[in-house]
Amino acid sequence: MKAGMKFTLKVWRQKGSDAKGKLETYELRDISPDASFLEMLDVLNKQLILTGREPVAFDSDCREGICGTCCLVLNGQAHGPDEGTATCQLHMRRFKDGDTIHVEPWRAKAFPVVKDLVVDRSAFDRIIAAGGYVSVNTGSAPDANSILVPKQDSDLAMDAAACIGCGACVAACKNASAMLFVGAKVSQMALLPQGEPECSRRVLAMVQAMDKEGFGNCTNESECEAACPKEISVSNIARLNREFLRASLCAVEGKAGGEGA
Amino acid sequence: MSWLLATVSASIGKKQCMALSGLALCGFLVAHLSGNFLIFLGPEKFNAYAHFLESHPLLIPAEIGLAFLFLVHIGLAARVTRENWAARPHGYAVKATEGGRSLASGTMWLSGLITLVFLVLHLIHFKFVADDAKMDLHKLVVTTFHSLPYVVWYVFAVCVLGLHVGHGLKSAFRSLGLEHPKYTLALLWLSRLFGVAIAIGYASIPIWAYFFTRTLA
Repeated sequence: MKAGMKFTLKVWRQKGSDAKGKLETYELRDISPDASFLEMLDVLNKQLILTGREPVAFDSDCREGICGTCCLVLNGQAHGPDEGTATCQLHMRRFKDGDTIHVEPWRAKAFPVVKDLVVDRSAFDRIIAAGGYVSVNTGSAPDANSILVPKQDSDLAMDAAACIGCGACVAACKNASAMLFVGAKVSQMALLPQGEPECSRRVLAMVQAMDKEGFGNCTNESECEAACPKEISVSNIARLNREFLRASLCAVEGKAGGEGA
Repeated sequence: MSWLLATVSASIGKKQCMALSGLALCGFLVAHLSGNFLIFLGPEKFNAYAHFLESHPLLIPAEIGLAFLFLVHIGLAARVTRENWAARPHGYAVKATEGGRSLASGTMWLSGLITLVFLVLHLIHFKFVADDAKMDLHKLVVTTFHSLPYVVWYVFAVCVLGLHVGHGLKSAFRSLGLEHPKYTLALLWLSRLFGVAIAIGYASIPIWAYFFTRTLA
């Protein structure tokens, strides 16, 4: 194992949602190169607690890169420098000994800071509640293969369904747009026969919910795709645009947010 | 008609209207440049073409349509840019690209604004001029381009325009949902080539006029 590493952290500290925050500087020594970024923050927090200071609040859950809870912007990149990697799966060996690392929360009007590095991402929940589901009859589960799905469609739907809803796409976008998230959520169902009956109502309602939350518009830069820990493709944004256009022009229930004609 | 209002006022609807107006304006750029190239054939052909356009009965309707396209494109651009800036009231202390950004995509509002300034000056210099100057448009164009600062500004502005349409075309296709592994790469390169072609095409006229026609003046 390499010797312990030294880092200078500039961490966003903010007492509450209405408080004025600022970057504070912390020096860390003897950090294992094999520590994950969050483990390094745990070490920092232990130091802060032992010296009677307030630990840094940050979100984490599974620490396996699959839950989408961790959300840090490191030196201006959502989830840090590695491709296809959430913050929890980023290791300190990725940085150079003596590096200064800026640690900031997701920045978007729709994601207000709750405390320090923790942001409120319930805007995503409200978008999902608007239409990111399929309605099914309760009772015994239908036979798994009763509806046939072409392999290429199920593959594309599965790629879209890999979205863990972390919000890195919003954090990375210069417009704080949620198009990649909504594109993935609309796509995963629009591609499958189970999602087809509600697809027009769904896309219109989800886009309306997205707009209501105050996310920006899409400039088609593809920063979101590059930042996404699950490497969701921007082709899902194209599919969202296509679905929206089709639903707006062709669907009978062509009223945004309506339950039908 | 409420569905139409809901469509064009949604975030995606606005971008799709920008895409359609942008594509139509790209068509205008091609048509305008094709006409401009007649300047290389000499004063007679170029002035005859100018007179043909000026006296055409459909000129006014075409100009109204063109003005409408510009108004839609610029009005929506101003609106989405304002919304985009409002969507992140508190910026990052440090921001680095993730790898998707290009010079063109990161500066669309600025390149659009420079193009708008260029458009206004362009209309003042070549469109809203005295009738006697318009009689010999070839001479007006050539003598205007004998000023080096003007040539530099013009070439700079059309390069900015090339950058704008290079990203804009690609973006328009995606906003309209036109993306498929079969042709996405082709559309990307078509868009870039279009931007380069527009910049070189429009820049060729002032450069030619400055270097090769000063003996005529």
